[in-house]
Amino acid sequence: MKYEEIKDLILQRDPIIMVDKLIEVDGDVAVTGLTVRADNYFIDEDGLLAEPGLIEHIAQSASAFAGYRAIRAGAATPPVGYIGEVKKFHCYCRPQPGDELRTTITMGAELAGVTIITGETRVLDDIVADTQMKIFIKPDD
Amino acid sequence: MLLENKYYKIINTKVDGLSAVYRIVLLPDCDVYRGHFPGNPVCPGVCNIETIKECAILLAGRKLQISTIKQCRLTAVASPALCPEVDVTVSLLSTDRGFTVTAKIADAERTYMEYKGDMIV
Repeated sequence: MKYEEIKDLILQRDPIIMVDKLIEVDGDVAVTGLTVRADNYFIDEDGLLAEPGLIEHIAQSASAFAGYRAIRAGAATPPVGYIGEVKKFHCYCRPQPGDELRTTITMGAELAGVTIITGETRVLDDIVADTQMKIFIKPDD
Repeated sequence: MLLENKYYKIINTKVDGLSAVYRIVLLPDCDVYRGHFPGNPVCPGVCNIETIKECAILLAGRKLQISTIKQCRLTAVASPALCPEVDVTVSLLSTDRGFTVTAKIADAERTYMEYKGDMIV
């Protein structure tokens, strides 16, 4: 299956694009990817990705999934999404430049514009971070 | 620090033991707003989380990393235009590996973020 370019699926732009591609969609589950580059916005003074960068990566992965669904449903542009809540976030280790993040997003039910998602990020077989999140998705107006 | 003097600037500090209030200015010229979002500058929630972490580092006087976020609620949209100055209130409670951090970002009118989680040294 072929997916849209990431800039067609999310509204974020440089310097804060934190997802490179939508790799797979199967029902309520999607897989995304990000290659961490040395010039990533969230690379901290110690050369590793700061934890909020992982949260943003998971949030934008969910946005890309929501954007994919909206566009497949006929929308001209992806919806605006805001993080409403981050819950049970764990950071197990911090990625470094060159690492390929693979993130699995599971989209829960939507209620009054709020969707609960879970995200899990790995580098190869190692878990890097996981979290639950509430995302407010505002349809394009 | 990743965002100090780039995304925010501290203009006043009140420390009382393991609690503090940092008055910050949200810097409207920060490059993050070019992308979040074009023509619609809104504070990325994760930049406010990083700001809380950096204030906790200042208060603790040592480098900290976020190990868990129990809960972080983003209760209002923030932007340099909507809330040019906000207070970041931080409290630390010692744990085996670092601190449990409770924090809030607010101004006189609204609370923008409520945060609780563990940071490790």
